[in-house]
Amino acid sequence: METTKFKFNLRRFTFSALILYLVFLLGPIVGLDIPAIAASIKANPLQLVQFLIIGISNGAIIAIIALGYTMVYGIIELINFAHGDVYMIGVFTSLTVLSLTGTLESKDPGKIIFGLVLALVIAVVFCAILNAAIERLAYRRLRNAPRLAPLISAIGMSFIIENIGLMWAAQAWLVPSFGTTGGASQKSFPDMLGILFTSMGWDINLLASTGIALRFTIKDLLVIILAVTLMTGLYLFVQRTKLGKAMRATAQNRDAAKMLGINIDRVISATFLIGGGLAGAAGLMAGLYNNTAWWFMGFRAGLQSFTAAVLGGIGNITGGMLGGFLIGLLASFSDGYLNARWTNALVFATLVLILLFRPTGLLGEQTGQKA
Amino acid sequence: MMKIIRPGITFGIIGGLLTFLFGGWSVAVIGCFMGLGLGLGLAGQFERKNPLELVKSALPTALIAGVILVLLSLYQSSVVQEAIGKRPTAEEIVAKGNLIGFLGAVGFSLLLVALHSLPEKQEQQWKIAVLALVVITFPFVDQASELRWTSQIIFALIFVILGLGLNIVVGYAGLLDLGYAAFFAIGAYTTGILSSPVHNIQWNFWLVIWIAAAMAAIWGLILGAPTLPLRGDYLAIVTLGFGEIVPVLFKNLIDVTIKEPLTCWILPMFGANTTCIVFTEHFDATLGEKGISPIGRPALPLIAHGEPAGAAMTIKIVIMLVAIAILGYLFWRAWSSGNRKPGVMAGFAGALAAIFIFFLPIPRTNNTIIDSVLGIIQPGEFESSRPVTWYFLIIGIILLSIFIIRRLRDSRLGRAWMAIREDELAAAQMGIDPVKTKLLAFAMGATFSGFAGAFYAAYIRGIFPSVFDFSASIIILCVVILGGIGNINGVIVGGLVLMTADRLFLPALKDFLAAFLKTTILPSISDPAVQLAVKDNANPILYRFLLFGLTLAIMMAVRPEGLIPNEQIRAELHEKEAVAEVEAPKSKKGKKG
Repeated sequence: METTKFKFNLRRFTFSALILYLVFLLGPIVGLDIPAIAASIKANPLQLVQFLIIGISNGAIIAIIALGYTMVYGIIELINFAHGDVYMIGVFTSLTVLSLTGTLESKDPGKIIFGLVLALVIAVVFCAILNAAIERLAYRRLRNAPRLAPLISAIGMSFIIENIGLMWAAQAWLVPSFGTTGGASQKSFPDMLGILFTSMGWDINLLASTGIALRFTIKDLLVIILAVTLMTGLYLFVQRTKLGKAMRATAQNRDAAKMLGINIDRVISATFLIGGGLAGAAGLMAGLYNNTAWWFMGFRAGLQSFTAAVLGGIGNITGGMLGGFLIGLLASFSDGYLNARWTNALVFATLVLILLFRPTGLLGEQTGQKA
Repeated sequence: MMKIIRPGITFGIIGGLLTFLFGGWSVAVIGCFMGLGLGLGLAGQFERKNPLELVKSALPTALIAGVILVLLSLYQSSVVQEAIGKRPTAEEIVAKGNLIGFLGAVGFSLLLVALHSLPEKQEQQWKIAVLALVVITFPFVDQASELRWTSQIIFALIFVILGLGLNIVVGYAGLLDLGYAAFFAIGAYTTGILSSPVHNIQWNFWLVIWIAAAMAAIWGLILGAPTLPLRGDYLAIVTLGFGEIVPVLFKNLIDVTIKEPLTCWILPMFGANTTCIVFTEHFDATLGEKGISPIGRPALPLIAHGEPAGAAMTIKIVIMLVAIAILGYLFWRAWSSGNRKPGVMAGFAGALAAIFIFFLPIPRTNNTIIDSVLGIIQPGEFESSRPVTWYFLIIGIILLSIFIIRRLRDSRLGRAWMAIREDELAAAQMGIDPVKTKLLAFAMGATFSGFAGAFYAAYIRGIFPSVFDFSASIIILCVVILGGIGNINGVIVGGLVLMTADRLFLPALKDFLAAFLKTTILPSISDPAVQLAVKDNANPILYRFLLFGLTLAIMMAVRPEGLIPNEQIRAELHEKEAVAEVEAPKSKKGKKG
């Protein structure tokens, strides 16, 4: 007995050592140059904290989008491929609202705050309706079709919405900063929060007075506060309200829920409405935080947040939040220490590894086998 | 009556509107293709009876289609062309083009309908003969009529091969692969690296195309293996992940440094003084965004005039002798076993001729006609300016692919794929090894994209990583879904329709819209900013992915089995409706799985 145990450990040790050796040998090909990373952390440890802050803020946005994925998957077991693009439409909607209300040129704090709140409300409502409309048009009739039909339809919807974004980004009469170069290029989203707080006479960096060489801005704080508020609200909604209870029931067993008198169509529409609304809010936050608007931004954001949802355990709301923060940190460290060009591949590799080795995710109970 | 006439009206209007975009001789070519489509569609609707009666019953449809086509085309050359400010077509061309178009539309449709009087097998053979005639003459007609469609049709044909390959994975084995373009990229990059001056390796295309296919197949196995435990949409997402990682790798492998870690870092950490072993440093493998170019082109014959005798020539001659020996053995076996049908004999003669065309340089004459024919049989190095040779090369690859895929489909392996698609658990219980079957599906599917990748790289003469991203995978999926999942003919039609729409229709529509707006709406707008906005927005090429998105969404909603469906898959897709009709009072059970 003893010997077998020892043998097992030895084999395991050799295996780990081999893997480690291969990581050291082949890692530099994909930018994973561990000695160089260690040296750069040693040289500037504060940078690590800085990447942590950026990662948490971006993770908050990813987490909110991930909630939309995880709720929809939980209730109808569909990867809503178009969800990332609904978020992109959220960015464009809020930018357009800010432009049309004249907020972009304004320096008056009151007017900016009014414009931002209006943009938030309109982006949330518009994206909620858009998401529900997608469900109504493309998914509902396929609810009893073979499993892959709605997924293919979702990919089609994603392409359609991306092209709507592409057209939108060419309309310089809506938003002057879209310019004359056509819709394909990345557009700037003005730093309204920076302008707001400078005009109010505040320093945007909260740590400026402490003398630490770090940036923790009001933007970071706002994004995190808004994200946590939305998540708590959603959690309470799903746990405490009647509609939330109906959602959980539908997710557990659609047929049984139907027999108990729950209107399935209404519950699913409500799920899409909430998911779309969250994506709209995330759109405004991401625009204000990262200051870019791009018709293709929904693809990367969508895949990052889908990975987050899978990492946390798809169908599990708490898991979606946790996964969002983790993926945000991963992306931020990869941008900082590896190279930004590898980040997408790294997120995908994470997704593949989770699906292969722990399809239930960190907190979930469903399995990939069920699919 | 209406049921018979309606397709005539639809075809006529579509064909006529297409002549609006292309003008010139296009009415003749469009008329012939319209006749083919109409004939193939109509023939199935009649009972088998004598040809005269068939022609009589199909005549009204064909005439209506032809008349509508010619009327619209005449309207185009007399009114529309002037309205959009295009140079008017010569009257002679208009007259001849419309006459040929009308005769083509009526003649081809009636011919195909009349063929329906034959027994089924003979009808098939005749249909294939008619189609072969059209396929062979198309590039020459295209050249003569100065439409210049061939070079774009070649792209459509590349996607036909890709669709056929993906059809093995998605259609036969039922595994939704959203990252199929990865194998296309692997085939193209294998070709690029092995036959371009960038790395000083310039191998022959005829060798490289097989290496590319083998490489794609190997990577199909490697990337397929981890996905085995997954099903349904999780499988789709993992393949999507691989499909995204592969182009990123090709894009970013521009600074490869491999150092042996023990000697470089681990031992020095403990104070040992070792020399660092460096395998490569700052090696640019794929040239990143710049892409690899130029890439070597195929050449026929393999042994050029005046090639110096040496190792290369010896190898080529040995290959030729081996090929002749294999052919001779097969011929002897067929002959001695009594298989002496004329079709088989013609096949052997064709194969022998192909070997000679491949290897023996035929001397040129000074006769222009003979030389132009020789130029097609033995073009020397393939030129980008002469798409005809490329066209026949890709047609050859497609025929080979169709042959292999049909044999595979009907083989034990093909039936195992379909069994896995229907019910993996039951198939495993019946003794089918799911691991082996699925892996072979991935590998075989990838092989054909390897062919396509090699051809693509040689045809474009350069490859860039952005070509192979997620949208490419989705375009290939679109081809399969539009045509009909699991049906070879369907995939071919889907690829041709979708890619000609993308490559020919959209650019022509863009030109048409631009000219139309210039003469009609734009002058009436006074504000230059609005004028610019209208002009920029009326560009359908910018929004070409809308075409693919709409294809996917609409097909899934309206006709999930595709234009030309596989009977079995259609039955499955409509199974629930049939069950619902029979068992109406029973509540439908939401099936998961």
